[in-house]
Order: sequence, then structure tokens, then C-alpha cells
Amino acid sequence: MTMRPLLLALTLAFVANAHGASTLIRPKLPPAVETGNNSVLRVNSTNQAYDFLRPWMKKAPFSRRGLGALIGGGRILVTAELIANNTFIELEKATTAEKSSAIVERVDYDANLAILRPVDPAFLAGMKPLELDKGVRVGDRATVLQLEPNGEIAQTPGTVTSITVGGYPLDGMGLLLFRIGAPMQQRDGSFTLPAVRDGLLLGLLMRYDSRSQTADLVSSPVIKHFLQETSRPIYGGFARAGLSFSVTRDPQLRRYIGLIEPGGVYVTDILAASPADKAGIRKGDVILAVNGRTIDQDGNYEDPDFGRIAFSHLTNTVFHPGDTVPFKIFRSGKILELPVVLEARDRSKIISESYVVDRAPRFVILGGFVFLELSRPCLQEWGAEWVKNAPQRLVFYDAFQHELPPDRGKIVFLAHLLPTKETLGYEELGNMVVAKLNGRPIKSLDDLAEAAKFPVNGFQKIELEEDPGVVFLDAAKIEANRDALIREYALPATLQQL
Amino acid sequence: MRRAAFRGTKPGCPAIRVFPKILVVKAGGGPTLGGMFRQAFIAGVLGSFVILQASPIVNSLVRIESTSQEPNYKAPWNSGEVTSASGSGFVIGGNRIMTNAHVVSNARFLTVSKEGDPKPYPARVLHLAHDCDLALLTVEEPGFFRGTVALGFGGIPAIESSVSVYGYPIGGTRLSVTRGIVSRVDFQPYSHSGMDSHLTVQIDAAINPGNSGGPVLQDGKVVGIAFQGYNGEVAQNIGYMIPTPVLRRFLKDVEDGHYDGYVDLALTYRNLFNPAARRALGLRDADHGVLVGSVFGGGTSDGLVHPGDVLMAIDGLPIASDATIPMDGDSMALSEVVERKFKGDKVKLDLLRDGKPLQITVPLNEPWPFTLHSNAYNEKPRFVVFGGLVFQPVDQNFMSAYEPDDLRLRYMFDFFVEDKIFRVRPEIVVLSGILADPVNAYASEFRFSIVDEINGNKIRRLADVAKAFAEPAAYYVVKMAGGGRPIVLERKAVEEARARIASRYRVTREQNLEK
Repeated sequence: MTMRPLLLALTLAFVANAHGASTLIRPKLPPAVETGNNSVLRVNSTNQAYDFLRPWMKKAPFSRRGLGALIGGGRILVTAELIANNTFIELEKATTAEKSSAIVERVDYDANLAILRPVDPAFLAGMKPLELDKGVRVGDRATVLQLEPNGEIAQTPGTVTSITVGGYPLDGMGLLLFRIGAPMQQRDGSFTLPAVRDGLLLGLLMRYDSRSQTADLVSSPVIKHFLQETSRPIYGGFARAGLSFSVTRDPQLRRYIGLIEPGGVYVTDILAASPADKAGIRKGDVILAVNGRTIDQDGNYEDPDFGRIAFSHLTNTVFHPGDTVPFKIFRSGKILELPVVLEARDRSKIISESYVVDRAPRFVILGGFVFLELSRPCLQEWGAEWVKNAPQRLVFYDAFQHELPPDRGKIVFLAHLLPTKETLGYEELGNMVVAKLNGRPIKSLDDLAEAAKFPVNGFQKIELEEDPGVVFLDAAKIEANRDALIREYALPATLQQL
Repeated sequence: MRRAAFRGTKPGCPAIRVFPKILVVKAGGGPTLGGMFRQAFIAGVLGSFVILQASPIVNSLVRIESTSQEPNYKAPWNSGEVTSASGSGFVIGGNRIMTNAHVVSNARFLTVSKEGDPKPYPARVLHLAHDCDLALLTVEEPGFFRGTVALGFGGIPAIESSVSVYGYPIGGTRLSVTRGIVSRVDFQPYSHSGMDSHLTVQIDAAINPGNSGGPVLQDGKVVGIAFQGYNGEVAQNIGYMIPTPVLRRFLKDVEDGHYDGYVDLALTYRNLFNPAARRALGLRDADHGVLVGSVFGGGTSDGLVHPGDVLMAIDGLPIASDATIPMDGDSMALSEVVERKFKGDKVKLDLLRDGKPLQITVPLNEPWPFTLHSNAYNEKPRFVVFGGLVFQPVDQNFMSAYEPDDLRLRYMFDFFVEDKIFRVRPEIVVLSGILADPVNAYASEFRFSIVDEINGNKIRRLADVAKAFAEPAAYYVVKMAGGGRPIVLERKAVEEARARIASRYRVTREQNLEK
């Protein structure tokens, strides 16, 4: 569900840092329940991302270190970002430095959560799992746990300053997050940190802004939802209603659409085949209530636990995929009750994915031309300013993908060229969207690989959406030179990854 | 030749949208310069401690002082900031003065002065050619041209031959001469319009702000006009002059009293080196022909040339596979043929279509129809203000003024021609600003949104906005491209706000629909 823009500008500031720089005296803690270091573990994850423009290669590996929280069932909870694209995960006990490698039991990149399990089940013996917190309020005290180099727990006290629905890092999905103000010090291995309240797990720290000294936590309700889904036979994840809306604060707009009720939000877009679409919600509808909870003009409802928060918390976290949630709709002066059957998004239908982790990006190399499917990580290879620096047509395809026809398929593009004598004259081609190969429309790399088997009159005829329009390769010659290409550029023998 | 047609059409010329930072050599301020050279133009009181040798060129050169008014696209109802600048020029036949367009663009008041004559003479613009950065002026005052010597024109100077640049650059007030050699003759972008490329000659003589419009001489004849160069941080000893084929074309174009401008094939083409591509397209020899990529709708070749055609010859001149033709004993870009033609001329093209030879004639009736991406001069910004909402059509001047980040706006602007957006929207009209007032208190999120519809009327041009708001209605419902809620303005509220907004924001007029 695309939500109204959220105010989040925090940065990851706690990526691995040098040891022991912190010499500040820890403030005296309130006499809360002491959280021992037998509930947290060091998690060292070696990660290696693919090169999205040359996907047969991986970039240099790097390590991320954080603290995992031990939860029931011998499982360790961390943020998904910590272990994204991992090649090796190691658990380390705080005091004894005893180590065990670990596997990922479940990961959800939308919710930024992952469950790890030590390879050696006895590894966690004697440790005490944390229970989930509930009912936290703005203004409550919380404690962020870090580890000193000697294995002692460092506790930074903080205050919950807001509870809100905000964008989670990888996908930007709006889920409940807790923001706390806490003067954290930089310590090694702080990529993920548990935060507790009265000895209960409040959340996992996923962002920290050192200037404003505020941290965003993956919140306990999101963790709870994730754990509930994990225990189901089929993991359903977090549902999206599939609509976007706009606030109705403007009294002129309210009068124009004849909206007398006090609240409600104006539906501006419906994603095709989404739960909202299937339920019959339309553009221009006004959502007055969700599951009986009145929606105000900004899209919030009064949550018994957390106060005024965005109603998407109901559809993505309180309820689960498969649940039916009634929406009260105002349409042309009439009130309708539309039941929405929640579903998680089918990621295979996404035209340009916002993240691609733990799997190799797909590619096809044909006679030195490298073909890719558009995804946000491809564009992010252009650096922090990718929106401006990446090829603009591809940026627009990514940004406006929801406006493309539902049967558009993937955006396959000729990314760049590994020049050979068969590609003479094509050196400057790159970042061009492919329309057809050998007369067959291309909606995925599978289509491309298939179409390449049927050259036309001995030529691979590539039709592009833009200049120069059409490119020819000699099918027999590129086949004959296949081995030379693989050898010269050290390419995988298959020349494709589907 | 226009840039859209230029993109990616030359071998080794990747589709770059941004021009290298070419400094327009204009002195004394103005938007192309920044403040950098302003201080150099405190009127000269250096005294005459050097005695200029009596050289005939002295009788041909003029210094041009221009007071111009730059329109303010961010407050389009204002008449704009007044700035002054100076440049150079020279006398040619017919009591005319030739200079660069950028020296006299947006001018409100012009004077020229001659070496050795203390008096500045008011001048007036006869012709302005923004696409090739040239202008012709005259002086009404009788007697001004008495004693002046009209300069004649030469050809394209040979590589490595010496040339001298005359003019009034920064660093002093009197005539300056610099000398250098011809470094190369090439097709280059003209930064005044930002969109056009024509033949240029690169020289290594120093060209500095104030040199603009000054003649470059060889053997007593004009071989070019100094007009642009790189900022010293980018490159050294690279100065550009407009060569005589471009000057002559301009003079010929205005012979009928009107400047029509360059004509263009309005298509893109690409090299054809690849042996497989050559065989697939049915080309028999090894090195002729270029492949047509796009043919722009509404352009001269629309319907006559098809994408996928191979251009074999232009006006009988064979086209090599790198898009060059033999011309003037040299190898030139094929577009040079059209460059030298005029509105109403024809060009003959030999094509290969589906492997079959075909000869067509393209009438060059209309100049390039898309001026959206060119810097515009001597134009008043167009706008409509309604309920404190400011609506403006998007063009290069608008984009330069606001530099908006909005992706949809950037898409429509960048791909206006290529993706044929002009067919749906001849003008992209945006909500460019909000003069904050209770009537529009909830509209701020729509800044830089593209206006799609007002009260059910599709908005294709700015005039449609004015028309839609002129129709009486209880509610004005403005829908933006890409969905979102509509902006709703109640007529009563707009009327109440009208005088308040006008006086608070000093909006002196509520609309201007004319350029």
C-alpha cells in the first residue's frame, strides 16, 4: 500500500566502528529489571551483494555486526538488514566469546526482521529468552542494549518520543515504528541493537540519527506479527491493501465531494488486482472507517494502545493475510460497506522490485550485449544520487511502474556491451529498453532467452524502444565466438542466469 | 542542427543531455556569466597612455553597451531585473553592425561606440538569430557610419593558420587584439540557445568576456566571430568562433527582411559500421549509409522517412557509415547540407528501405517545431494566477529558473519530443507556485504538478487554463497528471481572495498569455 509521504530522514549511523572509543561514564540506571547479558548475543554477518550491472559477479564482502535478541524456541531475532545477502553468520556469546555459526530460519525484508538459529542447538543452553513488550506509551522509559568490548552490557536509557507508522528501510513499507530519544555512543557491532522496557523486548533498533539522537525501532507489534506468521504453515507476511490516498483537510474539497462526516481519506489510486481492487474500492472513494474504527481526515484511527496512528497498521500488522477487514466507504453521497480480503503482495508481479536480496539478479548475455531486468538496485548502482544520475528513462520506468499496463511484464534492457568484433559500431549502446527480439515481444529475460533461439534470416534482431531502434548481430558468428567471449571477459559458461 | 536530432547520431557521441559548461563570452554581468566578470566593467578611466597604431580595423570595430531586462520566471508578472553588459561588433556592408545575439538579447537600450569617438550612439536591432547566436544592428544617427570601413568575409581558415581576435574584452577599456591558430573545425553546440549545433572553428587565441561579437580576421577579412569558450577551470586555450558559412547563411536568410532560422531533417541516425547490421539491411558495399532511428512527429521528414531506413546520399553526396559527407574538399557532418539551406528549400535523400533503393525529396518548409528545450530570449513569461495558484507553461527558461526535482515534470520535459508528449500536451502546464492565502491553504503539496484537467476540460495549453477559469462555476476542480486528489477552489473564496492576494504579493497582472 502506498501511503502518504512519511517524515523519515534518519540515517544508519551505527555501521561497524573501531573498538573501544567510548569512555563516557554511564549514567546511573533507574532500578529497573536488570537485563542480563544472557539474553543477547553478538551476531557477525559476512555479507556480499551482487553487482547489479554485472550480475555474474559479487562485490567485495563486508561484515556487519550487531546484537541479536534471544527469543523463545532457541531463536535469535535480528534486523533483516544485518544479514541481507549473507554468506556466513556467526553467533558469539558476550562474555565467553564462544562462537557458533547460524542459519537464517525466516527473513522478511518488508518488516526488516530475521530469525536466526545456531547450528549447534546446545549453544544457547543456560541463556534466558526475552519476552515481547506490549502496551508501551509515548513518554515511557526504554533502554537500548549494547555490548562493551569486555562483554558487559552497556545500557543507554531513553524515552519513547513517538509511536507512528513509518517507512521501513528496504522497501519503504509503512509499518509501526517506535522512535526513542537516547544519547547513544558509538560502539563496535551496533548495526542492530535490542531495546527493552522493564526487561521486555520493545523492539530492534534499525536506524539512529546521531545529530538528533533519535533511534527508530522495529516495533514489538511488528515483531509479534512476524512471529505469528512464522508459526503458520505458510508464511504470509504483511498484507497490503493496495491503495493510496490523500488527506481531506481542505474544507473546499470536502464540500465539493459532499462529505459531511468529519473524517475520511480520499482514495487516489488503486493497485490493479490488489485486495482493495478486488473489494471494489475505487479512485475517488472516501474511506470513513476500517474494521469499525473511524478514520480521521489524515488517515489515522484511535488505537487503544498507541493513540492516533495510520490505519494501515490495521491492515498490515493487526490483521493477517487471509483476514477480511470491512471498509466503510463514502461514494457519491452513499455509504458502502466493502469487505477487503487481505493479501500480501505477490512479489513476482512487481515490475521493478525495490530490493533484490539473497538471490542472484537475472541476466542474459547475447553476443556481448548484457541484458538485465530493471530493479531499484540496478539504478542504485549509480550511487546516492541515482535518481539524477541513472539513465532517466529507467528511473521513470521505476518511479511510474504502477501506471504501466498490468501486462507490461518486466522491463528488459540492454545494459551495456562487452565489445567483440561482432559488436563493432555498437560501442555506445547501453541502458536501452528492449521491445522485441527476433520479432517476439520481450516481457522478461526468459522471453529473451527463448526468442534468442529463433534468429531471423541468420540475424539476432534486437528492437529497442528508443534510438537506434534496431540492432543486428550475426547469429552464427556470435555462437561460434561464444567460447572466446566467455574466456576474454571471464564470464560464466552459461552466459545467463534465469 | 538541433540537439534532439543530434543526440547519439554521431559515432562517439553518446546521448548526453547536458552540455559541457560553455561560457558565453559576455561581459559586464547577465545571467550567463555570474558575478565573476562584473567588477571588470567599471567604466574605463585608465587614460590614454597607449597610442593605438593607426590600423584600418579601428575604423570597423564597435563596442556595444547593452542594457537588458531579464524576465523573472519566478515572479512572472514583474518586468524583470535590469542589467547591463558590453560586447563587441563590427561594421559590414549596408550600414549594419554584426555581433552575437547574446550581446543584445533582452536589450531595452543599446549604444555603440567607435574607437576614437567619445560619443556613444543609440543603436537598434535589425535582426536576431538565437539559433546561431548572431545579430545585426544599425545606428539611426546620420554620420555614424561616415569614416567606418565595412569588413568583408573570407572562407573557413585552414587548420594551423594564424588568426587575430579583435574586441573589447575585460582587462581594459580600449580595443584588444589577441592572436592564435586554428585548432579545429567541427560541429559544436551553440550555448546561447543551448539546443543548436552548427559548424564552429576552435582557436587558441585568448577569448574573454567582452570579446563576444568581435571579428576574427585573417588577411584583412573576417573569418569568424568570437562567441564562446570554456571556463578556465574546464579547459585552457579553447575559444570558439562562428565561421563564415554560418555568418553568410544568416545574412542570406535576412535578405527578405525576416529571419526564418535553420531548417532541420528532424530525425536521428546512427553509424553503420557493424557488418551484421549492414548485411541485414541489404547494404552491399562496406562503408556507406547511416541508419535512421527516430523520425520526429511534426518535423519535416515525418511520413517521408521511416525509422529503419538507411540514408545513402544527401543531395547526391554519398554518406559514409560514420555520417560524414565529402564537402568543400573536406569530410563534413552530413547535416551540413541542411545547415546551409533555407526555409522553402528542398533536400534530396537516397534511401534504402527494406533493401530497396528509393529517392525522396524532403521539403524544408518549417523550421524545427520544438523550441521547448532552447533558451528563449526577448519573450515575456506567460502565466495565469487564480486563487493564488500560479500556472506556467514549461520550457527551458522555466526549468532553468526553478530547477524542479519533480520526476513526472522532468520526464515530460526531457522526453517531450522523443515520447511524443507534444501530441497530448502541446504545452506542459504546471502549478509553479502558490501565493499562500487561506483560499489555497491545502494546495502546497501540488507544487510542480502538471495540470491535466480543470472542470472536466483537458488542459493542453496555458490558454486552456485561462479559459477554464473564465467560465463561471461554483467550484473550480483542478486535476493533476498522475492522480491524487483534485484541488478544489470555491468561486466565492477565490473572488474574496483576489484583491487581497494581488495587493499582498504585488501581483500587477493576473495573466499573460502572449510571449
